[in-house]
Parts: sequence; C-alpha cells; structure tokens
Amino acid sequence: MASFAGAFAACHPPLMARNWESLPQDHRARLTMAFDELGQRLRASRPDLLVVISPDHWVNFFISNLPAVCIGIGAEHDGPPEPFMQKVYPRERLPGHEAFGRHLLERALDSDFEPALSHRLKLDHGTCIPLWRMGIESTLPIVPILVNDLEEPMLSMRRCLAWGRLIRHAIESFPSPLRIAVLGTGGLSHSVGEATMGWIDEDFDHKCIRHFEDGDDERLAQFLTDALPRTGNGAHEIRDWVIAHAAAGSRGFELIDYFPSPETLVGAGFACWNSSKPN
Amino acid sequence: MTDYWLSKLFFDLQHDEKLAADFRQDMASAIDRYEIAPAVRKALFADDVAVLAPLVNAYLLRFYFQIRGMPQEEFMARLHALKPNPVQSKTVEAKPVNANG
Repeated sequence: MASFAGAFAACHPPLMARNWESLPQDHRARLTMAFDELGQRLRASRPDLLVVISPDHWVNFFISNLPAVCIGIGAEHDGPPEPFMQKVYPRERLPGHEAFGRHLLERALDSDFEPALSHRLKLDHGTCIPLWRMGIESTLPIVPILVNDLEEPMLSMRRCLAWGRLIRHAIESFPSPLRIAVLGTGGLSHSVGEATMGWIDEDFDHKCIRHFEDGDDERLAQFLTDALPRTGNGAHEIRDWVIAHAAAGSRGFELIDYFPSPETLVGAGFACWNSSKPN
Repeated sequence: MTDYWLSKLFFDLQHDEKLAADFRQDMASAIDRYEIAPAVRKALFADDVAVLAPLVNAYLLRFYFQIRGMPQEEFMARLHALKPNPVQSKTVEAKPVNANG
C-alpha cells in the first residue's frame, strides 16, 4: 500500500513571477529561504508522487462550467499558460499519475463526493509558482486537485476537512508502495480586484496559524467560516491549506515562515505537517 | 450581480490572442461580439472601475485592467476609492502598499 509522506503549504503570489528580479533583495531573500526550506522538507519526505491542491485562476474553467473540485487524472498536464510564467517556469508539460488520479476519483465517488474530472489540466501559477521556487524535480508526477477558491459560493470548511481526510484515505488504500505527499497552495490573506486590494490581514493570518497549530477541526472550521467573509477575497485559498491540514490528520503543523509581503500583495505563509527537518 | 457577457469578454481576452489583438486595434468592434449593455459598454470605454467592479469576478477585473494597460497603482487607487461592500463587512481600510506593476 502507499503511504502518506507529509503535507506542505505555500503561497503562490503571481507578482513573484512578474517582478522577481525587481523585488527588494532582502524580501527576495526571505521568500527564497522559505521556499527553499519547504522544498528541502518535501524532498526529505522522499515522495514518489505529489498531490497539489490549488485554485484555478480562470485558466481551465469559467462561470459557464465551474466545478467546486476537479481532479486531474491524466498522464500529463499542461504547464502554466500565463505569459508572466513563461520566463520563470517555461514548462510545456508536467507529468501526471493516471493510476492514483483514477484511484482518488473512485474513492471520492465511493464516498459520496462528486468531483469533476479532467484528463488534462492547465496548471497555472497557483500550482507552478511553488513548484518553481521549491525546486521540485520536473519528473515528479503530480495529481492536481483544482478547488474553486475564486467564485462564490465555495466549498464549506466542513467539506474541505472531509476532502483532506478522503485524500488521506485514498493514499493509504492505493495498492502500490508509493510515498505520496500533499501540497496546498495559496493564501494567506490577500485582496485582489476589490476595494481592499493590497490589504494584508495579519490578524486573520496569525489566527489561522494558531488554529492550525491547535489542531481542533471544529474550531478551525468555525473560525474560517466566520472570518472569511470579513477579510480579503484571496484568503479563500486557505481552503487548500485546510485540505492539506486534514490530509495530515489535523496534526503536526509546523510554521516554516510567515510575513506580510506588500511587495507581492499577500500574507506570505509557508508550512508543513508531519515533516522532519532534513539533515 | 454577475454580468455573464462582460465576464465572458474578460475571460476570452485572457485566452484568445486574436481577440486581444482585435480589442487593442478596435475596441468597439471586439465588444460588439458580446451582448454588452449600453451602460456597461460606456463604462468599458471610460475605464470606469466603479461601474465594472460589481459585475465581474474580482480576478477577471484585475486581469482586464492589466491588459488595458492601467498601472497597478492606479487600478488600486480606483478600487480604494470605492466604499467596501457593507454586505461583506470589510470595514478595515486598505493600506497603501508598495505595489509593483
């Protein structure tokens, strides 16, 4: 059977890719250090496969057909289509994992979840900025899970937790001796294209971190259900962290770094669960 | 209230290079391919962020004004001039940031 290798989470601010060279040196250094540490932790977990949970930034889906959750079950996926990603992460294709993708989809359907499926997804900056900055090997197969974090209504926090547990169950019931890691991307607080654009809600971010450390699912879900309507719209991406958190059994949260990053307009968060420091 | 055709225009501009080129060349004829209401059409020509913002997803709005060439600082300033939506109770003032284009 497969085993759970660890869970990880990181922000994915597109301004990092747009303006990487022109970011202040000390800021770039701190972002680099956090992503490097996360990349080292991920490599130390020796994954054979990575499940990446990320939003779709209007690349695959539109409001004419917008799944709450879509699992990429194809043998490969397309790299980021955004022009600003081409200069930093010019990957045309990323390897998928058909067998585990299919297994995860079947476990979901068996468990009364109804995700959409795709045999080929375009993986935008939400997936690829962390892969780029963490230095993830281009050969590591990816099973992408795209979650609607952009257009309301969205998955409840209760459902995000259930998705995380389902992913863990799918990993541990996959009949192949693979080590499978989970990466949630996005957040923490930010505000995009709305009247509060640029606002980084540090209070929200610190409370999120405390709830992840606390590990009580009910309190985490209640806090986010109450707080999300009052903070910036980008914070909805915390769903991807919540799914990773539940996949880790809601235990073992470790903050790698957090700092407000006005240069990239996000509360820059980096974390892992059940991960040991590399020697 | 979501304006489907305005959203579709913004979405298509992100994906269809020919449409984007046509839009830059002749904005009026590109807009004519969509069922855009006269008031919305007027707002597009005026780059009226206040009128357009409630009609589309915020991420699509940001993308649209990027391809319109509006500097991010100006886009943010126009957004900040809007009052926070009382339904969403986002009562905290947006802080000015050093936002690079």
